[in-house]
Amino acid sequence: MRGHGFLLANYVPGNSLIHRTPLALKFLLVFGCGLASFIIVDWRISLGMLGLLSGFFLLTGAGLKKLWGAIRPLTAVLLVIGLFQWWQLGAPTAARIVLNILVCVVAASLLTATTPVQKLLDGVVKAATPFRRLGADPERFALTIGIMLRSIPYIAGTFADVRDSARARGLERNPRALILPVFITSVAFARQTGEALAARGLGEPED
Amino acid sequence: MPAVAFDHVTVAVETDHSPGSKVLLSDVSLRLEEPRVGVIGANGSGKSTLLRLVNGLVQPSTGSVTVDGDHTVRAVRKVRRNVGFVFTDPLSQLVMPTGREDVELSLRRSVKNSAERRKAAEAALDRLGLLHLADQSIYELSGGERQLMALAAVLAVNPTVLVLDEPSTLLDLRNRELLRRTLAGLEQQIIMSTHDLELALEMDRVLVIDQGQVVFDGGPAAAVAAYRALCMDGLHARERR
Repeated sequence: MRGHGFLLANYVPGNSLIHRTPLALKFLLVFGCGLASFIIVDWRISLGMLGLLSGFFLLTGAGLKKLWGAIRPLTAVLLVIGLFQWWQLGAPTAARIVLNILVCVVAASLLTATTPVQKLLDGVVKAATPFRRLGADPERFALTIGIMLRSIPYIAGTFADVRDSARARGLERNPRALILPVFITSVAFARQTGEALAARGLGEPED
Repeated sequence: MPAVAFDHVTVAVETDHSPGSKVLLSDVSLRLEEPRVGVIGANGSGKSTLLRLVNGLVQPSTGSVTVDGDHTVRAVRKVRRNVGFVFTDPLSQLVMPTGREDVELSLRRSVKNSAERRKAAEAALDRLGLLHLADQSIYELSGGERQLMALAAVLAVNPTVLVLDEPSTLLDLRNRELLRRTLAGLEQQIIMSTHDLELALEMDRVLVIDQGQVVFDGGPAAAVAAYRALCMDGLHARERR
């Protein structure tokens, strides 16, 4: 299993301004970028935002390679989305949609590249604490985020493996040979992860 | 040493493609008190089911399993705190992107302060000589390093019993040796299934499982001999067909 197709950048230790920025502000940045993608209607503003966020990313010292690593797995999908939107709605709209997705990915990568996972999870627990009164377990929220971060590269890696297997059998043009094994492997992974969590007593309510 | 007791345990599951239920383990009664217990047997013989019963991952259809007197169904949370479980494939066990984060995840319940948790995680990694790999992606580690990382995450919460389900199956010779030496230095009671007969020979007691039944229970040399004989009988019977 390759599992290197990591969609979000791993934490890179450092002491940049972004590293030192409070977690809540970084959360707000990601949230704001997500929200902006629904509001912005001009592709030039999206491009400007992408440039700004990429600049922030490079300021952290994580490097261009890491930034490209976060975007690269998406290129094929973005190309398909871009071409389809160009055909349907024209070039400016296609550019805006693609750029807005990239803005969200870079913003999320900025958060994960400058925040250790445990600090991220502590932040999630803190943010979810008010829901305890409604019977929710904040630790479960954190665990869900942690598993999501871990599952993305696994599934991306599975896709790469399945694509190679299909290619070896001359089935690279058969969508069933690609989608079905990825789906089955992902379900098996989910079951194994659930079992591993249960074995470690993680995700169970506190005493 | 804690005592793991099986009292007339049977595990049966419903299957889609055959009428009635399939018996995975049949009327097993055991008391395991030795520091090192090995479980050997063919694929599908019931080894994993036997091990999963100890941690409460599988519940008996009839009978009961206790760990130091704690019932694995009624007191499952207490049992899981005391019984660490290591799976064959560490990638399905490590749920965080790096080893340090995974060990810290294990400690989240017991150590609330993040600085203390970090220190405790580093100590747990250091004990197994893994501190230099703490921040590496789990995908960048070798199979042996991953398996040791999974072990470190389990040992971080100080279980009294360690259950390992074929921990060396995916490892090369060097990594197998590394795992073997690490296990030899642990103070926990170890119950481990394996296809590595050399490893089985180092146990204090070995169970041979075949078709859901314990067909031999005794010293390692005699158990390995019994298992070899069982395998040869199976092969001859197949050739005669």
